Amino acid sequence: MKNEVRNLRTALGFSQEELAKATGVSRQTINSIEKERYTPSLPLAIALARYFQRTVEEVFDADGKA
Amino acid sequence: MQMARRRWWANKWYVPAFALVLGIVLWVAQWVGGNPRSGAEMFAIMVGAGLIFLLGGRSETIRGLRGDGRDERFAALDLKATAFAGMVVITCVIAGFVVELARGEDGNPYALLGAAGGIAYVIAVLVLRFRS
Repeated sequence: MKNEVRNLRTALGFSQEELAKATGVSRQTINSIEKERYTPSLPLAIALARYFQRTVEEVFDADGKA
Repeated sequence: MQMARRRWWANKWYVPAFALVLGIVLWVAQWVGGNPRSGAEMFAIMVGAGLIFLLGGRSETIRGLRGDGRDERFAALDLKATAFAGMVVITCVIAGFVVELARGEDGNPYALLGAAGGIAYVIAVLVLRFRS
């Protein structure tokens, strides 16, 4: 699924490892989401959106399927 | 928010310990069957596999397989891989069943294996259907 995770993360200056730790998943999972190879579960999508202080719709584009 | 709930088996020791115990069981079974040397070889293979899991923690795949590196993505991978392996096994069981029938046999043990797989699938669907 298309998303803004990489843009939001780099804008905040965080590493994939830091984002992974904050959301309770592996760094590889964050990498897969950023590369649009893996669509996260709803709880993880909400956790990512909360981390970036955005709405889920602002982080993930459900219409622009990867 | 913690994404992956830790299971009791989700640590680096469970799979190596399971491999060790299984190796011992195989060795004893082979010993009882009169093949202690073959049993020792099986034990050595299982110990080797256990060591790979214990010492291979740098690999995401190893950590995911043994449980301590498993998150929702790896759980989804595991589910798909299990389904694929199940399809391969049931295909082999059906093929074996057909071959046994063609040989004039009664189709066992493939008939029993196929029945166990089919019944387990139906029960799982029913249970999951009522739990979701």
